[in-house]
Amino acid sequence: MALTGLEIFKQLPKTNCRDCGQATCLAFAMAVATGKLALDHCPHLSEAARENLGFATAPPVATIKIGAGGEQLCIGNETVLYRHDKRFENPCAIAISISDTTCNDEITSKIAAIKKLEFDRVGQIHSVDMVLIEESSGSPERYAETVKLIAGNTRHPLILKSENPVAIEKALDMAAVRKPLINGANSTNYEAMTTLAKKFDLPLVVKGSDLNELSLMVEKVMGLGWKEIVLDSGTKDAGKVLADQTQIRRLALRKYRPFGYPTIAYAAGGDHYQSVLDAGVYICKYAGIVVIDSADPADILTLITLRLNIYSDPQKPIAVESKVYEVLTPDPDSPVYITTNFSLTYFGVAGDIEASRVPGYILPVDTDGVSVLTGWAAGKFTPEIISEMLNKSGIADMVSHRKIIIPGGVAVLKERLQEISGWEVLVGPIESSSIPGFIKQHWRA
Amino acid sequence: MTLKLAKEKWPGRVLEMVIGQDPWAVIAGGDNTLPFHHFEGEMANRPVAALEIWDVEPTDWPEAIKAQFEGVLDNPVAWAKKCEDYGADMVCLKTASANPEGRNASPLEVAATVRAVAEAVRVPLIITGCGVEEKDVQTLQAVGEAISGYNALLGCATANNYQAITEACMLHGHNLIATSPLDINLAKQLNILISELDLPLNRIAMDPLVGALGYGLEYAYSIIERSRLGALGGDKMLSAPIICFVGQETWKTREARTEQKEEWGAQTRRAILWETVTAASLALAGGSIFVLRHPETLKQFNEHILALMKPNSY
Amino acid sequence: MPKLHVHIYPENKHVTIDRNENLLQAITRAGILLDASCGGQGTCGGCKVRIREGQASPVSSGMLSDDEKKQGFVLACQCVPKSSLVVDIPLESKLAEQRVVLLDGSEGDEVEFLIDDPNFTDEECSVPMYNRITLEVPQPTLGDTEDDLGRLLRTIRRETGIEFLQPTLDVLKILPEVLRKSGWRVTVSLAEGLGLQPVEINRVEPGPAADKHLGLAVDVGTTTVAAMLVDLNNGRTLAVKGTYNRQAVYGDDVISRIISVGEHPDRLGDLQKAVIDTINNLIEELCGREKIEPADIRAAACSGNTTMVHLLLGLNPANIRLEPYIPVANNIPAIRASDVGLKIHPGAWVQSIPGVSGYVGGDITSGILVSGMAQADELTLFIDIGTNGEMVLGNKDWLVACACSAGPAFEGGGIRHGMRAMQGAIEKVRISRDGSEVSYATVGGAPPAGICGSGLIDCISWLYKAGVIDRSGSFLKEAGTPRVRDNGEGIEFVLAWSGEVGICKDITISEIEIKNIIRSKAAVYAGIRSMLKSIDLKVEAIDRVVIAGGFGRYINIVEAVSIGLFPDIPLEKYTYVGNSSLKGARMGLLSRQARRQLEEIAKKTTYLELSEGNIFMEEFISALFIPHTDIGLFPSVQ
Repeated sequence: MALTGLEIFKQLPKTNCRDCGQATCLAFAMAVATGKLALDHCPHLSEAARENLGFATAPPVATIKIGAGGEQLCIGNETVLYRHDKRFENPCAIAISISDTTCNDEITSKIAAIKKLEFDRVGQIHSVDMVLIEESSGSPERYAETVKLIAGNTRHPLILKSENPVAIEKALDMAAVRKPLINGANSTNYEAMTTLAKKFDLPLVVKGSDLNELSLMVEKVMGLGWKEIVLDSGTKDAGKVLADQTQIRRLALRKYRPFGYPTIAYAAGGDHYQSVLDAGVYICKYAGIVVIDSADPADILTLITLRLNIYSDPQKPIAVESKVYEVLTPDPDSPVYITTNFSLTYFGVAGDIEASRVPGYILPVDTDGVSVLTGWAAGKFTPEIISEMLNKSGIADMVSHRKIIIPGGVAVLKERLQEISGWEVLVGPIESSSIPGFIKQHWRA
Repeated sequence: MTLKLAKEKWPGRVLEMVIGQDPWAVIAGGDNTLPFHHFEGEMANRPVAALEIWDVEPTDWPEAIKAQFEGVLDNPVAWAKKCEDYGADMVCLKTASANPEGRNASPLEVAATVRAVAEAVRVPLIITGCGVEEKDVQTLQAVGEAISGYNALLGCATANNYQAITEACMLHGHNLIATSPLDINLAKQLNILISELDLPLNRIAMDPLVGALGYGLEYAYSIIERSRLGALGGDKMLSAPIICFVGQETWKTREARTEQKEEWGAQTRRAILWETVTAASLALAGGSIFVLRHPETLKQFNEHILALMKPNSY
Repeated sequence: MPKLHVHIYPENKHVTIDRNENLLQAITRAGILLDASCGGQGTCGGCKVRIREGQASPVSSGMLSDDEKKQGFVLACQCVPKSSLVVDIPLESKLAEQRVVLLDGSEGDEVEFLIDDPNFTDEECSVPMYNRITLEVPQPTLGDTEDDLGRLLRTIRRETGIEFLQPTLDVLKILPEVLRKSGWRVTVSLAEGLGLQPVEINRVEPGPAADKHLGLAVDVGTTTVAAMLVDLNNGRTLAVKGTYNRQAVYGDDVISRIISVGEHPDRLGDLQKAVIDTINNLIEELCGREKIEPADIRAAACSGNTTMVHLLLGLNPANIRLEPYIPVANNIPAIRASDVGLKIHPGAWVQSIPGVSGYVGGDITSGILVSGMAQADELTLFIDIGTNGEMVLGNKDWLVACACSAGPAFEGGGIRHGMRAMQGAIEKVRISRDGSEVSYATVGGAPPAGICGSGLIDCISWLYKAGVIDRSGSFLKEAGTPRVRDNGEGIEFVLAWSGEVGICKDITISEIEIKNIIRSKAAVYAGIRSMLKSIDLKVEAIDRVVIAGGFGRYINIVEAVSIGLFPDIPLEKYTYVGNSSLKGARMGLLSRQARRQLEEIAKKTTYLELSEGNIFMEEFISALFIPHTDIGLFPSVQ
C-alpha cells in the first residue's frame, strides 16, 4: 500500500537543505507521497532509505510508450481506482480497427474518415489516437499489404493485431519504424511474439483466456526478459470486461507485478449504439486502450468527450464557464450581476436572482474557480479583469443601460472599475441571499 | 497457480426506495456493492429509468425529440400514457405550468392535472416543481395532497425550502427528491436536515444536479461515485439512492441540439448517444434513478443496463 | 541540597523553587495566575495542573477525578515538589487570567495587554540581543605586536566563543584611547541578531560600565500593536502597553493594506510611518511611565505577520498577495533603528522574528516557540485566530502550518451588533428550549452594548440546541417565539430587548450573520483538517491544543467545540498561551538560544498552501454545518 508523507519523511535526512526544490523535507515527503515528485529528487537520500522507499513509491502501473516521434503516446502510470482521489494520468487511447479482409478502397475511405475525426473543445483539438489493423485474412502477405497501405496513409500510431508471428514479422518489415504495439502474445505463440518485440524494441499485448491465464502469460513473457506489456484479459462481454478491468487495477495497486501494466479492451463490433456504450464503460473503468470499429463522428465525438471528462483534474475547483448567463428571461433593461466563476458562488447568485423574480444577466469572471473574496485577495478579481470581461462578453450589445452590480464584499473595487470600464457600478449586498430585497429597492435601468 | 482476486466486502449498502404501488411499484437502490460488481456483492435492483413529460407544451425541446411524442405534447395524460407504451419504468411530470414567469398556474390547477395523470397510468410517478423555490412549496403541497397515498416521488427540495416540502411528503406518504448543487457535502447536509425532520432516509432521493457529457459530467460522476463509496462504507447519511435528471441537461447541449453539422455526425444518433452515454456513465458511477427524454435513449439505456446486470462472478 | 526547578508549559517558563514553597506559589511567582479561588485550601479544584515530568507528592487531591489523577493531574496548592518538575497548565485553570479585560480610559481606543511577568533564568537571558561584557585585553608588547582591534577580537572570542565579529567605525575611532585610558579593561557592547549575521561591536567603554540598557519587544499586529520594555541586565519586564495599529485607516486587514500600497506611490511610506508612529507612541508612553530615556533602549525584537513586518521595514508586500504568494524575505537580518525611524537609540539593532511564508509570519514562529511544541514529543495543535486564522500542527520532529481567512466575525466585524470583547459586550449566552428565554453575561457586568466573539459562539451553539436554527444555521419555521422575527431584510433573533436593563436598542442576530459566523468557524476547522489530512493523521491524534491571541482569551471551549470551531478532544488538552507573538519577541530579545530556535522553527516548518487543490474547499463546505457534516467527528456533541 502507498506510504504516507510522514512515513517517507522518517527516512529522509531531515536537514531541510532545499536541494530538492522543496522548502522542507516534510514538504518533499508529502510531494513524494502524492506522486508529485520522484524520490530521486533528493540527492542526499541514504542507500537504506532508497531501498526501503523505492518499491513503495514506484508507480503501480508501468508507463508504456507506443508510436514514434511526435506521434508517440503514453498509456499507463495510473495510481488510483477513483478519479476523485487523483487525476487519471494518461488518457485512455481510442483506437479504430480495420480488418485486412476489407477491400483497399474501403480501407482508404475509412482512413480518410478517421483523419477527419478532429474536434475542437475549449480551444484544444482532440482526435482518434490509434489505428488497429486486424489480420483476419489468414494471409501474411495480405496483412503486410494492408499494413503498408494504412501506414502510408496515416501518421497515427498503429496496433498490429494477429496471432500469427509470421504475419506480424512480415508487417514489421516496413512498419517497425513506426514503433507499433504488437497484438499479441497468447499461450501458443508467446515465445515467437516476445522475440519479435525484443528484436524491434516494441510493446507487446499479452492475452490470456481469463485473468488466471493472463497472469501466467505475463509472468512467462517477463521471464523471457520483456517488460513492455499491455494486458488483454480475453473477454468481450461488457460486464465481464468491467470485472476484469477492476481486478487488474486493484491488483496493480496492491503491487501485484504481472498486472502492473495498462490494458486494452474491445467494444463490440458493428455500428450498434451498444458498442459505443461498451466503449464508454471501458473509458470510465480503467482501459489503457479502447478499440472500436466505428468511425462515425457522432460515436467518436461522444467517446472523446467522455474521455476528456473522466481524465480531467479533480483537484481543480469546480468552475462554470466564464460567459454571459441569462436567469429567467432578461430583456435589455435587466440588471447585470458580476461574480466569480466558482460553481457554488455562481449557483448561489443564480438561485437568489431567480428567487428575486427579477430576470437578470450574470457575468461570472474567470477567477480559476475561486470565490469572490479569495479572488479579490489573490488579485484574480480586479477592476482590470472585470472590465476586460465586460468588453469581451458582448453584454454591452445585450442591454440598453450601462450599469453593473458587484458583490458587496468587494465594494472597494467600485471607483476604479467605474473609471476604467465606463460602466456605472452599483454595490450589491455582501450576501447573495439579500439580492431579492436589494434589487427591488435599487434597480432602475 | 490460482490468482488471488481482490474482492471487497462493504459494511454498508444503498437504501432501497419503493416508488408507487404494487404490482407496478418500482424499487431503486439496495446495492451492497459498486455498480455491476456482481462478482463481490449484490445489486438487487437494476437502475430504473423514467421518461420526462411536462404539464404545458415545451417550447424549446428540439424537433428530434418532439417528433417522438407528436400529438400528445399538449396533453399530459396522453403523453404519460405514451411514455408507458415506450416502456418507461416511471413517468416524471414536471409542473412547468406553475412557473410565475410563464403561465403561473395555481397549485390547485396543477394538482388536478397531476391527479388526472396519476389515474391514467399504472407506472409510478415522479412529480417535480417548476424550479422556483417558493412556488414549488405551494405546488408540491397541493400535489402531495391530490395524489395522497400514491407513494410518488416529489421534488425538488433545496436547502431553502426543504422544511415545507418534507412535511408534505410525510403527511401524504410520498418520497422526496433532495437537490443540492454539485457538492457531496451539501448533499449530505440536506439529507441530515431532512432526516432530522423524521423523514426516513430510504424515502429521500439525492439529486446532485448532474451535468451532461461535456458539461461537467465529471463532477457529477465523482460526487455520485463518492456518495456510493460513502454509503457502502457505512455512512448512513449518504446511503439514499441518487436520481439523475439526464434528459433536461442533455437536451440543452449544443451537441444534442445542433441539427446540421457534418463533422459531428447525424443529429439523432449524436443526441441519443449524448443522452445515453451521460446516463450510462452516471449509472456506472452509482446513480439509481434516471430521468430521460428520448424513447430511443430509454431503449438503449435499458439494453445496456441489462447487459451489465448479467452475472460476472469468477 | 541542589536547587529544584519547575518548567511550565505552555508558557515555556522556568522558575526556581524556594524551600518549602508549594507548586502554586512557584507558578504564581513565575507570573502565571491560576484560578485558585479558595486561596490555596485545596477545596476549589481551580489550580489543577498536570505533572509531565518529575515527582510531586500531593497532600490531598480532592476535587480531581480518578481519570485526571491517572493522567498526572494534581492541585498545585497541595503539592510540594520533591524533584525538578515539568508541568502543563490547562486552560481552565487560568480562568482568572482569561477574564481580565482592561479598558484604558473612556476613548475606547486603547487596550492594555495582560502579560505574565517574565522571570527568565540566568541561562536563558545570558545572551540578549544587546550584550555587555567587561574584558581584560592583554597589553601589546614588543613580543606581541597585534593591532588593537585584533587583540580586542581575540579577547572577545576567547570569552564568548563568537567567531564572526564586526566593529562599527565609531568603535574603531575611539578604541586606542579607550583601551589605553582604561588600563586595558573595557566593557564592550555586542549587538547580536540572527545566526547568519556577524555580531557587531557596537560600543566600547572604559572599565566596567554601569548605565541602564534596555530592550524593546514588539508585537506588530494587524489590528493592535503591543510593546514591552525589558531590562536587558536581568530580563525583567518593566512595562507593557498596547494600542491600535494606526495603519487601520488604510484598511482593516492585510490584503486591503497590500492593495492600498499598490494604489498610490506614497502609500508604502504612509503605512510604514503609521506603524512606526504607533510604536514610537508606545515607546514614549512606556519610557515616560518608567522615567527612562528612549536612547537607553539598545535593541528591539519585532514579531508580526509577514505583511506587517514588510510594512514596518518599508518593503513592498505586493507579491505576498499574488499567486504564488512570495514575500521579499522571511528571514530578515537586523536593521538599525535609525533606518526606520524607530525612536530608540539610533544605532540599536531591530530584529524581526523570522517567518515561514507570506501568510505564516514571525508572530506564528514566536507562538510555536512559546508553546513549546517544537520541543515536545506530543502532537500539538497551535491556533491563533484573528481576521486570519493561523494554525500549526506538529511536534519536535516536524511542523506544518497553514493560514486561512476567518473573516472579522469573531472580532465582532461584519455583525450589526458585533463588538470586541470590551465593557458591555455580551460574552456568554444561554437560550431556553424553545428560544423564548435568553440569559446572558456581559464583560464587566455592564448593560449590554453588543455581542463579542465568544458571545456569538455561545449564541449559535444555544440557538441550535434550543431548536431555533437547523444545522445549517437557517431558522426553523416552527420556532414560535416572538424573538424570531422578520425585520424586512431577513429573519433575526432578538437576544436582548430594548428596555431590558437600560439599553435603547434591541440586540439581535440575523440569519445572514449566523451563516457568516458559521463560515468563519468552518474556515478554521477546515484549515485544521486540511493539515491533518496532508499528513494522514486523524483528529484523535492531537495530544494538546494551544490557543493564542486576543480572541482565544474569552472563548468558551465547550461551546466552541459544540459549534465545530475547535476539534472535539478532551477539554483538559486545551491550554491558552496569551499573546505568544509578544512573548516570542521578548524571548528572542533576551536569549540567543531562543533566537536560534526561532530561526530553526521558521526553517523547518512546512507551509501548507490551502488554495492549492481543493482539499480545503471540500473541508470548508463540510464544516459549514453545526457542528460538522461528518457528525462522527464530534462524538461529544449531541
